[in-house]
Amino acid sequence: MRPELLGASPVHGEAAPAVELQGITKRYGTTIACDDVHLSVASGEIHGLLGQNGAGKSTLVKILLGLVSRDAGQILLHGRPTEIPDPFAAAELGLAMVHQHFSLVNELTVWENVTLGDTGRPDADATCELVRSIGERYGLVVDPLARVEDLSTGQRQRVEIIKCLRRDPGILILDEPTSVLTLSDSRELFSVLRRVAQDEQRTVILISHKLDEILNATDRVTIMRSGRVVAQRRTSEVDERELAREMVGRELSKWVAASALGNLDALVDPALSKDPAMFTAVRPVEDRPAVRMRIDSAVASRDGRPLLQGLTLELRAGEILGLAGIEGNGQHAIGDLLSSLLPLDSGEVRVDGVPVPAGRPGAMHHAGIGVIPEDRHQSGCVLDMSVAENLVLSAVPSVSRRGFVSRRRMRERAEELIERFEIATPSPDTPMRDLSGGNQQKVVLARELSQQPKILVAAYPTRGLDVGAIEYMTEQLHEASRAGIGVLLISTELEEILTLSHRIAVIHRGAVVGEMPRMDVDIERLGMLMGGQQA
Amino acid sequence: MIEALTLVLASSVRLALPLAFAACGEYIAERSGTINISIEAMMLGGAFSAVFGASITGSAATGLICGVLAGLLVGFVHANFSHRLTVNTYVVGLTLNLLVLGLTSFLLDLVVLRPSQVAVFAVPLLSDLPVIGPALFAQRWPAYLLWPLLPAIWYAMYRTRWGLQMRASGENPSAVDASGIDVNRRRREGLLLCGLLSGLGGAYLAVGEVGMFNQNMTSGRGYVVIAAVIFGAWTLRGAMAGCLVFGAADAMRLALPALGVQLNPQLLVASPYILALLAMVLFARSNRSPSALGKPFARGLP
Repeated sequence: MRPELLGASPVHGEAAPAVELQGITKRYGTTIACDDVHLSVASGEIHGLLGQNGAGKSTLVKILLGLVSRDAGQILLHGRPTEIPDPFAAAELGLAMVHQHFSLVNELTVWENVTLGDTGRPDADATCELVRSIGERYGLVVDPLARVEDLSTGQRQRVEIIKCLRRDPGILILDEPTSVLTLSDSRELFSVLRRVAQDEQRTVILISHKLDEILNATDRVTIMRSGRVVAQRRTSEVDERELAREMVGRELSKWVAASALGNLDALVDPALSKDPAMFTAVRPVEDRPAVRMRIDSAVASRDGRPLLQGLTLELRAGEILGLAGIEGNGQHAIGDLLSSLLPLDSGEVRVDGVPVPAGRPGAMHHAGIGVIPEDRHQSGCVLDMSVAENLVLSAVPSVSRRGFVSRRRMRERAEELIERFEIATPSPDTPMRDLSGGNQQKVVLARELSQQPKILVAAYPTRGLDVGAIEYMTEQLHEASRAGIGVLLISTELEEILTLSHRIAVIHRGAVVGEMPRMDVDIERLGMLMGGQQA
Repeated sequence: MIEALTLVLASSVRLALPLAFAACGEYIAERSGTINISIEAMMLGGAFSAVFGASITGSAATGLICGVLAGLLVGFVHANFSHRLTVNTYVVGLTLNLLVLGLTSFLLDLVVLRPSQVAVFAVPLLSDLPVIGPALFAQRWPAYLLWPLLPAIWYAMYRTRWGLQMRASGENPSAVDASGIDVNRRRREGLLLCGLLSGLGGAYLAVGEVGMFNQNMTSGRGYVVIAAVIFGAWTLRGAMAGCLVFGAADAMRLALPALGVQLNPQLLVASPYILALLAMVLFARSNRSPSALGKPFARGLP
């Protein structure tokens, strides 16, 4: 396969494309994940696969990798029809994938992970040598004897890439590779990809929902929307506006496009601060209102692993404080702490000056803290209960008497909330499972806001939502802050943070390491703080 | 005093041996991601089949092989139900435990079993060593199988590709699957090995230590083995230490009255189990178990 690859001229060549998908269709029950998808990727190019969450990008590459079987369509590799029944066959054919969530075994060492898919007797010395030599060739330095659980996310991704490159793949697929990386790690990754594609004539498919990544890193881009391919373009001939329109299917204001679709440069463009939408969004909160919540030197651990290490944070009435950081630096612990799921080893949480016992079930809720959890399916709602039941879940006493729930009052309350929060549901009795992601999130939001909380914790409130739902959530959170609620926004997506926050704090290794007003945000400094450097 | 110590130590090792064989198996199964509670059924089935086989053939050694095969059969059923048909592994395990208990009790009434026991083999010279001699070098001959078995298992788990895949299956099955390895097949292999070794443990209990089969003769030893693996923090060495601790508790139960110590007999009988319970409570939290332990693996979307 190798010589043939080298012979093919990049992008403009007449040779058969490295990968060609024809009419790929995949259904899950009644939902269509991929609908008659055609895709063609040439050798030696970096090809972007752009689309919102749920557009079918991941399913498509899973089919290509033999992880999911297709219902219809054909796969051609270098012009030859090919069957890919399982991941092993995909590997044989020179397809390799860097997964969105690392597929590394944390308890094993780097070299053990690298050799996992091989056959024959494992050879520690040879594998270590291999890891080092690949590391040198591409600038991916990592200690082969280290345990994966001791590595940073950036280093883990290097291991993941080494794992792929050592198989000498003709086609390298990356699924949302930067979602867990710092800015500098992302840049490093793209330079590695450039080397892989240009110098060695490998094909790279980059899946992303971020416009600037696609614009900066790819040669050509295929845009998917609701399971269909809607456009294929040469990256040098499009701008972000066109990409955004194709991806979403309608025209967006530059601000919304930038915030919802991930264009950092546009978000910090000084010209934008004249945009009225942007100005109301990021205006500093005036004359320092009362402190609503104070977390003071919080220290917490679970199973001997430190989660919070002296975290101090102040949240004022009417402000949205964005807590930025790389995934796995204690964001989860903050969410747990404020949901009364995590006791503190030392330090305290005060709401309006009154200490709240951490870890006692319900204490945070009673103190006036509402939480939109990061995983709405797991802890945000009960999928098999009705919309009405979900809406009153945390306010059962208000619709019940002497331990009996009044169905009439529950229904009334649900109807009122459905109207107020514009939840699109056939009826209050519809199971939660049947609602779209955006509407499920609206139910969670309605439930929490209807409790009139003093503080609202929103963890990744727009994750996995489409643009319309993102706009709605943004509006609602601003509304809540104008009503005097202190909003703590936890997110790893800088775009989400920059869109919503009045003030930005950076969390690193379980402590707040710096903060800045949104108006004077400095992306470089933010990136350095998130990466744990002093800035 | 020395005499008493020698006696208690010898009896500790003797009582720990059936546990040790089974613990080797449970260790393998748990490292690959299955909490195998049907180990009780494997041991009990092994014990019955060993005595039954010995009664028919008149050879205790043949009985031992029958016991191993019975454990293997239980392991085969469990493996296919829980890692091929993805039935909940605890339901399968509990069902098997009840089934084998009922079956052996029933068969005990139907067949005539004759006492049968394998021979003691005392290693010359070494068995005359003070204190440890009788404990380590004057056991029934199958006991010495444990000596080559332990390094063999360690080598298999830590030096072979199969072992690497087994350990990885217990930690992150999706990653293993993405590497093109059949996770459930590895887990089935783990259960088969567990059945083989636990059957040997049960058989050793019957035709090694006791020489006879009685109803429910393992009486929860399988659960004690699970406790020993937890006690040992999912290391082979630790699991063996756990078996010794529980064996010692059992030995004390027998030895204390003989040494003239007066204790509530019910409490004495319960002591190994109380110890096992304590060990599970104390060690289950503080030790890192395999990440995917007890979680079934099914391919498809995460």
